[in-house]
Amino acid sequence: MSGRLTPRRPEPTPRPLRRAGRPRVRRLRGAALGTALATLLVPALGACAGGDAAASGGGATLKWTSSYFPTHWDPVVGGSGAQFRELALVYASLTRTDENGDAVPDLAESWEYNDEGDQVTFHLRSGLKFSDGEPVDATAVKAAVERAKEQKNSALFGDLTSIESVEAEGLDAVVHLNQVDYQIPQLLGQRVLQIASPEAAKSPEELDQNPVGAGPFIVTQLVPGTKAVLKKNPAYWDAKNIHIDNVELTSAPDAATVVSGLQTGVYNFADIDPSQADAAKKAGLDVFVQPGFNASNISLNVNKAPFDDGKVVDAVRYAVDRQEFVDKLTFGYGEATDQPFPKGYVAYDPESENTYPYDPAKAKKLLAQAGYRAGELKLDLVVPAEDPQAEIVQSQLGKVGITVDIKIDKNWATPFFAKDLTFSLYSTTGRDSAVQTLTAHFGPDGPLNLSSPYEPKGFEAAVAKVRETPLGAPEYTETLRAATRAGLESRALVFTYSSPNLIAKSKSVSDLPKNPAHIDWTGVTISGGN
Amino acid sequence: MVRRILALTSGRIAVAVLAVVALLALLGPLLAPQDPLATSDNTLAAVSGGHWLGTDYLGRDTLSRLLDGSRVSVLGSLEVALTALVVGAIPGILSVQLGRTFEWITLRLADTLVALPFLLFAVAVIALLGNGITQAMLVTGALVSPLFYRVARAATLAVARSQYVEAAIVSGASTGWIVRRHVWGKVLPPVAVAFAQTVGTGFVIVSSLTFLGIGVQPPAPTWGGLLASDLGYLSHQPWAPLAPALLITVTVWACNLLADAVRDVSGEAGRTLVNHRKARARRRGGAGPAPAGGA
Repeated sequence: MSGRLTPRRPEPTPRPLRRAGRPRVRRLRGAALGTALATLLVPALGACAGGDAAASGGGATLKWTSSYFPTHWDPVVGGSGAQFRELALVYASLTRTDENGDAVPDLAESWEYNDEGDQVTFHLRSGLKFSDGEPVDATAVKAAVERAKEQKNSALFGDLTSIESVEAEGLDAVVHLNQVDYQIPQLLGQRVLQIASPEAAKSPEELDQNPVGAGPFIVTQLVPGTKAVLKKNPAYWDAKNIHIDNVELTSAPDAATVVSGLQTGVYNFADIDPSQADAAKKAGLDVFVQPGFNASNISLNVNKAPFDDGKVVDAVRYAVDRQEFVDKLTFGYGEATDQPFPKGYVAYDPESENTYPYDPAKAKKLLAQAGYRAGELKLDLVVPAEDPQAEIVQSQLGKVGITVDIKIDKNWATPFFAKDLTFSLYSTTGRDSAVQTLTAHFGPDGPLNLSSPYEPKGFEAAVAKVRETPLGAPEYTETLRAATRAGLESRALVFTYSSPNLIAKSKSVSDLPKNPAHIDWTGVTISGGN
Repeated sequence: MVRRILALTSGRIAVAVLAVVALLALLGPLLAPQDPLATSDNTLAAVSGGHWLGTDYLGRDTLSRLLDGSRVSVLGSLEVALTALVVGAIPGILSVQLGRTFEWITLRLADTLVALPFLLFAVAVIALLGNGITQAMLVTGALVSPLFYRVARAATLAVARSQYVEAAIVSGASTGWIVRRHVWGKVLPPVAVAFAQTVGTGFVIVSSLTFLGIGVQPPAPTWGGLLASDLGYLSHQPWAPLAPALLITVTVWACNLLADAVRDVSGEAGRTLVNHRKARARRRGGAGPAPAGGA
């Protein structure tokens, strides 16, 4: 660089002038050298400094890049989708789940039902505070539930239909139910009731920008949609088991670049696309599948033609080759499922397995019986973005004579949740309460039931029976599976596959607890290097 | 002009490349060795005799998709250039001929359109009108049109003050006759340069939009779309993005090369160049063996 600033061919000038020229050349060289050093050193020093107060504090730093960076930091608006894992850094809940998926104490150290099963009292830990200094008490729980039920833009309203009211008595939150429901401790965990400071939540818009909870970390910097910097919350009830001092949470860049970021230490933890798993393994990273409840489906609206004809629905059911989804989309890390849960989950009903096996010949026959010749039935498959899932559905239905046009609608969510679409796709990350998963998919008001208010015969009674069965009762599993069986009579959903919660991490980050569908930082350590 | 362009090496290369691209657009779907939409279990396959460019993430033949996707890119870029030509060049010429009010209005409109970022605007239009390449390209063409407006206006201004145009006005010639007889011939060369450049720009815009998944409904293949999907599987097929990227690059380069060639052969400079070449050819002919019975 400096060489280019040196005159290549100095003019044959008189000696005094040439002497005068040398210091100028030296100055130029010096300037160039200085610029080069500055160019190299400033970013390096910046990187050492971390660019923010939290990172400069030293200690163990989790550098997590996530495809699910929260679009909202108000948990009521964020809803119970995949982003709850990131929000759980900031917010704690009444309960959490353990490695078996069972509810265990979080902010509530215990709870008990009344004899009728229509009232549950949560006993909160004493002396806890939100990060703004407000006390964590039953009043805060009551405010959180009421806000989730009443706030105009709440995404949690449909999840809390069993709750009639909450009574606050010091550290005891008494939850009154409108039906017997033993699922409540499971329900009021991290997915559905992350509790914000009631003082901060007085302005939901402000809370959305400056989240205030009683979780393991406190947000110190938030760049909406891009980056959040957090530091450990010393007042968290289980702070002694949190060994991470700082968190830098970023929105994941292009899937293909995440592995490079992990290799170079830009991140030390990331959820990755299955297509990147091999590259991550080759790069020497820890790659593992966190257990979960993911399930993808083809959503049909049986209130609209042609799906108001059961034969067409059955034709679609028989036309679906689930293994193709697993092979092409999950690179073998996922698994086929014909239920809203992965195989092996307590609510998965083995009796209903493979009710509609892949049988394209039968699908063609059913279409013919419904009065459609090959190529005559044309459907618009409406999806929010380009999705290989849609292309596989198009290809598989094409093989049985259904012509599918994929339509991308950036405003897909509005017609989907308003049940205006006829044919679409949905992938859920599941719920901690199996009953909640079932009602969300098959219930008359279920947000994932594109055919609302349609519900399969006997489903309501089967679900009510599950709610009335304590989770520890010996008949619980069979009752739950019977509800799944009743739900699967629905003509509105064809389940396809379960995608994996695939994570790659630096070896410096210790193993995570295997809590299904959750990312729990309790006990996780980060050693010196990345 | 065509003969003059073909007299240049750069012109011949540009025309050859663009002719191949045009052929791909016309016959690409017929030339595709396999159904570009047919999926198979042979996903992310390497280059082989059966799949000259391998297969994609759903087992589709990449070469077939590339050939099939040519038409969207070519038609889209032509749509941009033709829209810009019509919306820009005609008002550009008329702004000199139709008086001050028309001139003021068109100048302000051109200034306004220049200020709008066309890629962003195309995305906004698609969000409003639905996902389709035609509406996006029409809007982009309108936003690129100030280039044609200014080029056409500058050339017309240069002619409008010439003595032969003034003589035609004094003789009572109509505006239309003056434009056809005196203006159009002068405006055509710079407009042709701008057109060739704009076709290249159109390729970049179409590729950018389809790269972002905008404008074309899947699984319809496009060059930009193929590039985007290949980037997601770099760790499996690091070479895969090369084919669509090269096609886009070479096509845009050929458009710019053609624009340069048109510029080089048009006007006085072009005539001088051609005359110079003819003279050189004559000299070479004269230096040959003397005819029998010569001096």
